[in-house]
Amino acid sequence: MHFHRRKLAGAASVAALVLLASCASLQRSWDQGNVETVARLINEGQADKLAAMSAAPFLVDGEIVTLKPDIASFWSGIVKAGFKVEGATLVQAAPFAADSYRQFADTMEVKSFFVQYVKKEARLLELGTSQSGKKIMLIFGDSWFKKTIYGFKGPY
Amino acid sequence: MKKAITAAAFVLIGALALSAAPADVTYAEGDASIKLKTGKLQDAQIGDTLNTGDTLRTGKDGLAELDQKGVSIKIAKNTVFTLMEREQGGQTSSVLSVTLGSIKFRYNKLTGQEPMVRTNSMVAGVRGTEFSVFSGDDGSTLIAVDSGQVTVESEGKSVDLAATEGVEVPLGKPPGDKFTVPRELMDYSRWNEDKLSAMLADPLAAMTSIESSLAEYEKNVADYNATYLEYKARLDAKRQKRLQISKEQGADEAAKYQQEVITPLSLQTGRLFLNARYFSLAALSMRRFVAGRLYVLLKSRYITNPGDPTWTQFLSRFDNFLSSFEQSIAPQLVVADI
Repeated sequence: MHFHRRKLAGAASVAALVLLASCASLQRSWDQGNVETVARLINEGQADKLAAMSAAPFLVDGEIVTLKPDIASFWSGIVKAGFKVEGATLVQAAPFAADSYRQFADTMEVKSFFVQYVKKEARLLELGTSQSGKKIMLIFGDSWFKKTIYGFKGPY
Repeated sequence: MKKAITAAAFVLIGALALSAAPADVTYAEGDASIKLKTGKLQDAQIGDTLNTGDTLRTGKDGLAELDQKGVSIKIAKNTVFTLMEREQGGQTSSVLSVTLGSIKFRYNKLTGQEPMVRTNSMVAGVRGTEFSVFSGDDGSTLIAVDSGQVTVESEGKSVDLAATEGVEVPLGKPPGDKFTVPRELMDYSRWNEDKLSAMLADPLAAMTSIESSLAEYEKNVADYNATYLEYKARLDAKRQKRLQISKEQGADEAAKYQQEVITPLSLQTGRLFLNARYFSLAALSMRRFVAGRLYVLLKSRYITNPGDPTWTQFLSRFDNFLSSFEQSIAPQLVVADI
């Protein structure tokens, strides 16, 4: 009886580990998909779709962009400038944390932006590009029905 | 220190007998939203009330109208309007802040205590009944009077405008020469496009105006804050003394001391704090809607050419500006202000 219990507990632990590993792998695959979506929209010049996906207020580097027309201008501006994200790959992804704001700027304003406006389930996604090793960072929210970009930093 | 300031402020602001009048939303259309002073965002709807510290923003198809105790405020598209307050001459008065865009004001009756109007580049005292304020992308202001009188002040210089007169006030500079306002509707968008083009053509000159404007705000914040801290310390000492009076001379004497000494000092201290907050929030408006917008516009323009000297020189100046703001203004702000 005792032996059976131990076997059962062992099997449950293995199952939990497999589940965790597959969750992590699933999360990474979602993150990679989201990175590719944003890169594709930029490369195809779909500024309107990017603006529609963007939250207001929106963060560009350390700047809080409050007005929706300004967020739309940012995306159309980078598209008009011919900005492309070639060979986008997910370098790293991290869940929202208390010090996430430091990835964008270590200021009172950016810290407050994260506290006030970024949903806790959002993730920080770092994209690598094939353009001289430059990277881009996104604050990205992916709920069941909605993908939201909260911020953009880079290329750096 | 900041926590102490904030905690004391709630008590002191609460002690202020007079506060700015709220404004009711009488019309809203398209993209019009309100950012409450608590930081909460909501769509603007007829019947909503704007209180001190609340901001109404309109987008590219947005319009709104407010009524503030007989002042009609017509807010055009792409505009940011905040209801502020400050102390002047021992009274708490409303300040109608046009951070960006265009607003038409109509005073239905004059009481002699009309709220001031401010933009990033000027403050206007109103003795008029109808005028328009245009707050440009570069922080400049264009003010045009239809009827009555408006006194425009900036950088220590003031200009009186009568009916059909207007003036332009560049950011960080005194008002320019008066001009006659054409009878037909003024073309604000064309004026603003020219301002934007000039700012983008010479971002370093724009930074000079932004830096000068921030320096002025910093001076005001530092002055009011230093005096506030001095008064606060005095107030704390008087409160200790009241406790002593209460113990030694009884409750009646302590109540008398409270009424004669502590309450007036508390009001004065609160007003000093109010003004330090007023200038901090005004600096934040300028930083967000002039400096920040300039950064983002230039960023999108130079994103494929980050080594361009115009961009690198701008970045260096902008970093210094940010660092100054972070040191002098940010400590006066709270999360909900952002």
